[in-house]
Formats: sequence, C-alpha cells, structure tokens
Amino acid sequence: MLRMLAAAVLAAAIPGAAPAQDAHRGAELARQTCLMCHGENGRSQTEDIPSLAGQPADFITLQMILFREGTRQVPVMNEFAAHMPDKDIEDLAAFFASLPPGPPDDRRARDAALYAAGQALVGPRNCGVCHVSDFGGRAQIPRIAAQREEFLARSMMEYRDGRRAGADTQMNGAVVGLSDADIAALAHFLAQQD
Amino acid sequence: MNTKRLLLGMAAALIVGPALAQQPAPAVPGWAVGRPEGSTLAPHGPTLTVTPVDRLPVAALRLPEGFSAAVFAHGIPGARAMAEGPNGTIFAGSRVIGRVYAITRNADGSTRTRVIAQGLNNPNGIVMAGNNLYVLALNRVLRFDNIEANLDNVPAPVELTQAFGLPGEADHGGNHFWKVASLGPDNRIYTNVGAPCNICSVDRDRFALLVSFNLDGSDRRIEARGVRNSVGLAHHPVTRELWATNHGRDWAGNDTPQDTLIRVRRSGEDHGYPFCVGSWADPQENAGRNCGEFAQPAALLGGHTAPIGMRFYTGTMFPEQYRNQAFIALRGSWNREQLSGYDVVVAKLDAQGNVTGVEPFMTGLRDDANQRFLGRPVDVQVLRDGSMLVADEQMGAIYRITYRQ
Ligand code: HEC
Ligand code: HEC
Repeated sequence: MLRMLAAAVLAAAIPGAAPAQDAHRGAELARQTCLMCHGENGRSQTEDIPSLAGQPADFITLQMILFREGTRQVPVMNEFAAHMPDKDIEDLAAFFASLPPGPPDDRRARDAALYAAGQALVGPRNCGVCHVSDFGGRAQIPRIAAQREEFLARSMMEYRDGRRAGADTQMNGAVVGLSDADIAALAHFLAQQD
Repeated sequence: MNTKRLLLGMAAALIVGPALAQQPAPAVPGWAVGRPEGSTLAPHGPTLTVTPVDRLPVAALRLPEGFSAAVFAHGIPGARAMAEGPNGTIFAGSRVIGRVYAITRNADGSTRTRVIAQGLNNPNGIVMAGNNLYVLALNRVLRFDNIEANLDNVPAPVELTQAFGLPGEADHGGNHFWKVASLGPDNRIYTNVGAPCNICSVDRDRFALLVSFNLDGSDRRIEARGVRNSVGLAHHPVTRELWATNHGRDWAGNDTPQDTLIRVRRSGEDHGYPFCVGSWADPQENAGRNCGEFAQPAALLGGHTAPIGMRFYTGTMFPEQYRNQAFIALRGSWNREQLSGYDVVVAKLDAQGNVTGVEPFMTGLRDDANQRFLGRPVDVQVLRDGSMLVADEQMGAIYRITYRQ
C-alpha cells in the first residue's frame, strides 16, 4: 500500500512542472493582496475564508486558474485572479505551500460526539485515499486537515449540490448522498486534525 | 481511463434533493463500486499553466524509422480535440480551462495562438462544417460563423443549445459529459453522450450513445447504443463507416475491462454497456445478458489506456502502409497500479476493414521505470500536407510528425 501511494504521487510529478517558482516573490505578492483575507501566516482568522498555509502548490495553482478563467465562480477571487500571469500564480502557490499549516486561533473546542460521527464516515467514504491518511493533500488534491470548519462544511455542500466541481468531479462523487448532519460531522472531525 | 467523473448519483441527488440527502449515507458511494480496499489511485491533476518550450518532451518521443516529431505550437494549456479550417487554421478545444484556441501559421513556419472563446464548460467538441466552427461544451452548442475571417474580432456565436437538446450538466451528474464532435461524410455532426456514472444501469435511449444531427441540430439519430464513454470519432474514408474509441469502466481490475476501438456497421447497433465489453461480462451490471448479443469491438486497446482522439490517415506523406489506418491517441491510465497508455497507436485494417493488429506509433511519454509520464496525447489530426499533429493536453503543446524517406 505504501508502495502504491509512492507510485501514485510520482505519477503526478511531471518534469514540465518542475519548480521554477519563486516563493520569495510569492511572499511579496501575497503581502500586497492576499494575506489581509487569508491570514498573516496563511491561516485564515476570517469566517468563510479558507486557510492556504501548507496547501499543495498544485492545488493552489489549479484553483487560481479556475478563478482566473471564471470556471470556479467566487466573485471576490475572480476579481483578484483576473488577468493574473501564470508566473504570479505559481509563485504565490509556492509561497503558501511553504507555510506551516495549522488551525485558526479561534478553533472551537472538540465536540466528542460530532467528532466520532465524522470519524465514522471518513473510512467508508475513502476520504483519506485521495486526501492522504493525514488529510494533508497531494498534488491537485487539497489539504483538509485543520481547515476552517465552516468553510469545509460549505464546500462539501457545494460539491454535493453541484455548485462546485474541480478539474474532475471526484469530490462530487465522494459526498453524494451525505446529509447536512453528516457533512457537519465530517467538517468538525477534519477541522480538529493537526 | 480518461479523467473519470466518478460520480454516480449526483443527478439523482439533485432531482430528489433534500429528501435523499436526509437518508442515511450509503456505506460505499456508487463511484467506488469494486474499488479494492486500500487503493490510493486517483486521477492525475492537469497542468494548466504554460509549459516553457524547452521543457517539452519532444526529445523523448520515439517513432518508427523515417518519422520525426517537432513542436508545432506550444503555450496552449489544456489543448485537446483539434479541427482544421479550410484556410489551415487549427482549432483546439479544452476541458477545465474552458478555452477554444485558434492556431495559425506565420510565414516563417512559427505559429500564433489566439484564445477565441473562454469561460466555457469543457468545450472539447470542436468541428468545422464549411467555414463555420461548432463548439460543443458540456452544456452548450455554439456556432462561430465564418470564423477564420474573424479571428481577431470573434463575433458572438449563434446559440444552438436548444436545437441540439443534448443532456446538460444535471442530467449527467458530472460524469462523462465532455463532448467530441466530428463531421460525417453525410454532412451531419456526430457526437457522443457518455454514461452518467462509472457503472450503472442507464436510460439506454438517452445515455451511453453515439448520435448524429443535421447541422442545425435537427433530426437526432442514434448511431450506436451501449457505448460507455467515447471521446474520439472518425468515419472510415473508404467504407464511410463510423468508428469510435470507447473507455471501459473503472475499479474492475488492472486489465479488465479493456478500452476498445469500435466500428459501427449498422446505424443504431448495440455495443453492450453496462452489460458487457466484448466477451467480458460486467461483474455488477451484467444482468444475465449474453455478451454474444452485442456488437463486438473492432480492437481491444488495453486496460485503462484511455483512447481519446482518433483519425484515419488520409494523407500521402507517410508510407503507403499507413493509408486509411486508424491512429489513436492514448491519454494514459490512472485507475491502474502500473501506468498504461500515453502513446499514439495505429490500428492496422485490412481491405475488409477488419483490424489485423494494433501497433505503437509514437511512444516515449510513459516512463515505466519511474512510473511517471512526460505528457498525455489526446488527439491526432492529419494536415493537408500529410503530416500529423498530436495534441499533448498535459504539456499544452501540439507536436507535428513528418516522414522523410
Ligand atoms: C477580500 C478577501 C480575499 C482576498 C484579498 C483574497 N482572497 Fe482568496 N479567497 C477568498 C474567499 C472568500 C475564498 C473562498 C471561496 C469560496 O467561497 O469557496 C477564497 C479562496 C481562495 C482559494 C481557494 C482555496 C480553497 O481551499 O478552496 C485560493 C487558492 C485563494 N483564495 C488564493 C488567494 C490569493 C493567492 C490571493 C491574493 C492574490 C487571495 N486569495 C486574495 C477571499 C479573498
Ligand atoms: C477520489 C478522490 C477524493 C475522495 C475520495 C475525496 N476527495 Fe475531497 N477532494 C478531491 C479533489 C480532487 C478535490 C479538489 C476539487 C476541486 O478542484 O474543486 C477535493 C476537495 C475537497 C474539499 C474542498 C477543500 C478546499 O479547500 O477547497 C473538501 C472539504 C474535501 N475534498 C473533503 C473530502 C471529504 C470529507 C472526503 C470524504 C467524504 C473526500 N474529500 C473524499 C478528491 C477526493
């Protein structure tokens, strides 16, 4: 199983995507436009705005392109990404990927029952298969551990209800048929991971 | 398989809405039916930034003696299905980046790329009919009139979505909804309607079809049934029969079922989805059907190799043995422990149109030793000078293959 995972990760590592990215330049750009919303250290302290610290660079790059091209509709982000050159996107992605991930300062205390309900769903739903067993993500698949709880819940509802899809609809499939309560439990469980 | 839309019941969830959402969650979602315990396989992510020309894997490409490959155009992220206009413009569709590109040649042989449409939902169905470009996106059909005369100032397209009446987003539940399109010798537009799931029983008059239309979207005709997910179509230049590539389901083994090349001998014939692929009975959906009832594939192309665009070679530059043979781009596997595909292959046909063998043509993008890939071929296009273009979606480039004795 470990070997298979290594193969899967390698398979996504294309030489064409080799790092020409400049995280220092990315930090400069982020300071000017992104950190006020996404948090000084990449951990968002603002409701409904996701943390970006420690997200895989490929995930950030892909989402920024979807925002730029208007194929993921979030007006505020569509505006920031409009006409952004690939180079800026890649540098920003390298910067946020280099930041240590962690929960927001105001993360609420663990609710044991809700946590257990979420934990009971991640196995059968294969969440860790794509997002990796520590939910840290890989390549275009995002880190979901220690993300803001309300953002996790909202994004899962968007996938379930067909209001968001990525480069493929893997995520839409993963949450088919989940109730709002299931989603709340999953979001709580994931937000509590470190 | 091609990037799978592994979404089983999203359409159902949308229709049934909150009621369904309140029921207890099924233990295993439909898309994962058959998935082995512990498998970490997931589709490879796309690269949608510009790949610098010096990082394109042209030096790695391997071709038969006498052939060579060069970069034709680059800096076109996500470039996929191609079509050529009467004045030689190459149009390329895309998937998630939502763009349609127009590529023209400069006097010095270099190319110029324009984005002529953007923000579309998976505009992969690209077909020229006369001077007009048709774009079939997931949820729309558009016609750009007299396009080559208007590349710098593209007028608003004519909306044909209603006229074609293809199933839209909600109907497909996000699965297999991207289009491919081709102009038949009868001047009709041929396209696909994929299955709305990995494996499930479907309305067999609405999904898993090859269909054709008049140019105005009227007179829909079912050309083939039971075709799970075709993303490549071409008519044989002599017999005029419709041929297509077809993707088998996921999570039923590394080598089963195989992806296939199909030949439609009779309009409306049945190719077996979800019951069978050739002689292989589906472990979940066979429903007691005898696989012999269905049309058999013209060729088996291997497990999960993901055959996408195909064209018959109609030029004269390549040696005679390639005339009227089917070139097929294999985008390459994800739902398989060892990578397969990532090549362009040629299916050899005899005078009766029977496939006598499938041979590698362009290889070198799959690195078996390291289990990684350098690019993903997704379409082939024969130019009027007899050379052949190959689109590499992952690298955002188009290669041109020429032959010299
Ligand atoms: C005005 C506030 C604001 C600013 C400034 C801003 N963002 Fe965002 N960003 C958001 C919100 C809100 C979302 C959540 C979108 C949603 O609702 O799904 C978001 C989402 C994202 C996402 C997707 C993350 C995910 O987990 O899905 C990325 C990547 C991102 N922003 C990057 C950036 C970058 C890079 C910048 C600077 C160029 C930036 N943002 C500036 C508000 C902002
Ligand atoms: C088959 C692979 C796969 C499985 C299984 C899967 N995911 Fe995902 N997930 C993805 C991909 C790919 C994305 C990014 C999609 C996009 O681009 O919008 C994603 C995105 C997400 C996001 C959005 C995060 C963000 O920052 O925008 C959340 C939350 C999430 N997944 C939670 C889960 C949970 C919870 C499960 C289990 C119920 C799960 N996923 C199962 C592949 C998967």
